[in-house]
Amino acid sequence: MEKLTIKDIPLEEYTITPGSACQGCGPALAARLVFKALGDKVIRHGVPSCPDSVTRTPHTFSVFESAGAALTGISRALKVLGRDDVLAVGFIGDGGTYDIGFQALSAAAERNEDILWFCKNNEAYMNTGIQRSSATPLYAWTTTTQVGPRGRGKETPRKNLPFIVAAHHVPYVATASIAFPTDLIGKVLHAKRLRGFRFIDILCPCPTGWRFDPSRTIEVARLAVQTGMWALYEIIDGREFRLTYKPKKLKPVEEYLRIQGRFRHLTDGEIEEIQRMVDENWERLLKLDEEGEFPL
Amino acid sequence: MIEIRFHGRGGQGAVTASRLIAEAVAKEGKYAQAIPMYGTERRGAPVTAYVRIDYRPIRRRDLVHEPDIVIVIDPILSRKPSVAAGLKSGGLLLLNYPTPPEEVEIGGDFMVSTVDATTIALETLGRPITNTAVLGAFSRVTGITKLKSLEEAILKRFPGEIGKRNVEALRRAYEEVHLPKPAKGPLRPREEEPPHVTGYGVLKSVADWRVFRPVVDLEKCVGCRLCWIYCPETAISLVDEKPIIDYDKCKGCGICVHECPVKAIEFVRESV
Repeated sequence: MEKLTIKDIPLEEYTITPGSACQGCGPALAARLVFKALGDKVIRHGVPSCPDSVTRTPHTFSVFESAGAALTGISRALKVLGRDDVLAVGFIGDGGTYDIGFQALSAAAERNEDILWFCKNNEAYMNTGIQRSSATPLYAWTTTTQVGPRGRGKETPRKNLPFIVAAHHVPYVATASIAFPTDLIGKVLHAKRLRGFRFIDILCPCPTGWRFDPSRTIEVARLAVQTGMWALYEIIDGREFRLTYKPKKLKPVEEYLRIQGRFRHLTDGEIEEIQRMVDENWERLLKLDEEGEFPL
Repeated sequence: MIEIRFHGRGGQGAVTASRLIAEAVAKEGKYAQAIPMYGTERRGAPVTAYVRIDYRPIRRRDLVHEPDIVIVIDPILSRKPSVAAGLKSGGLLLLNYPTPPEEVEIGGDFMVSTVDATTIALETLGRPITNTAVLGAFSRVTGITKLKSLEEAILKRFPGEIGKRNVEALRRAYEEVHLPKPAKGPLRPREEEPPHVTGYGVLKSVADWRVFRPVVDLEKCVGCRLCWIYCPETAISLVDEKPIIDYDKCKGCGICVHECPVKAIEFVRESV
């Protein structure tokens, strides 16, 4: 990825605002940052999802299942037309990436189609009213993983999708966060110059669905990274692994969990369980980073 | 049958308020329906909800078009004459508004009552979630539900500390509401659609989404660009390295206020 400072981020905006997203919307900011880096030589593709931000680019749309197939068509048509200056870009939620869109995503990745796929990941189906997805973390409350006498929120941890995509041996896979805009834009600029299937998973907190005050969107996104709940890394050609944010010591996950209503019900024991999970995962990532090799 | 229409903004609890009324009157042995308007509601965007109350089972299932009572739980929507669209002659317009009804500009052949629910909510809940306070005013002004039934409905839905504070908001509004006065002007509002934002895309202005407005102290600002880069709506542009806020684009989320490292941005309550 490219190393940037905040002064290197282009001033030009590619979103048309104000949009119809909620106050403090994480995905709206993700769209703004991503398209700032991509510019307007882009055909953007979307599937059913919250509105995030309208961009100054042509925008195509398909059903949930078929983002991978539709993007394949766009990218191949551009190739036939000789327009290698235009990018086929998917800007798709976690439902259209992790769950419903997964089959077509995997197929397009396996064919190494010339696609840039961004997952605006807010860890549930927010557009339809906060239903769990396979990106929803362990014990998070959603309207379909209720908290009550018979439920403690989601029963299973989220799927490790960036690793699954990397196991397709595609040129570039990365995770990013809206709280780290220079890291995010550096990764987008790097991916933009490559060819083949590129995937960036961006964690975008959702004040409405995660139950926190809209002014804290960035704080929550930052804490996700600083506590190790959402590690920032990149995987190149499915072989090289590199952490792009490596604090000396992680903050306790409690700081991240306690400020969100969706984790309000957690007991100390449950927080400890999540802490153990995060610690184990972080150890593993540090080891991968040290060896520099992606094992799959 | 009494029909009620609620106006509010996503996040203020209009839908919850409609359900609380329905639960409270059901406790008193009456029949009720609470109907949320389904669309692509967003936190901050204008939304509507409806309630029907009767002594007999209610067979109607459509939306309320000619309400007996209109309740507006947002102070800025309370300025829009279109909230009274369809309100019956002699009906009641209950507004969350800081001044007495005599100072409300909306005219028509109905009664107007006001309560400063935003101030009450900020002082009791710490957040501008105005639904429960407005319900206290509703109970006092209309007598349709007893305060006690509303309290029970609130405590059932919000157990613990949050419920207690909401009951406090309810009781304060019950005391502080300005009783109904005939609406000032003789004119019916122009029959336009009541405010309700649905759908996707670009809006003209979101200035009236805000409860608080960010104000930059340019003397304190160190030009770090953080407020600029973190604004989801590109409401902040840089002029000579200093942030200038476009208030038509600012939804008042407060990210810039929260993220400013030198506390150069103040969050000031919008006046109505």
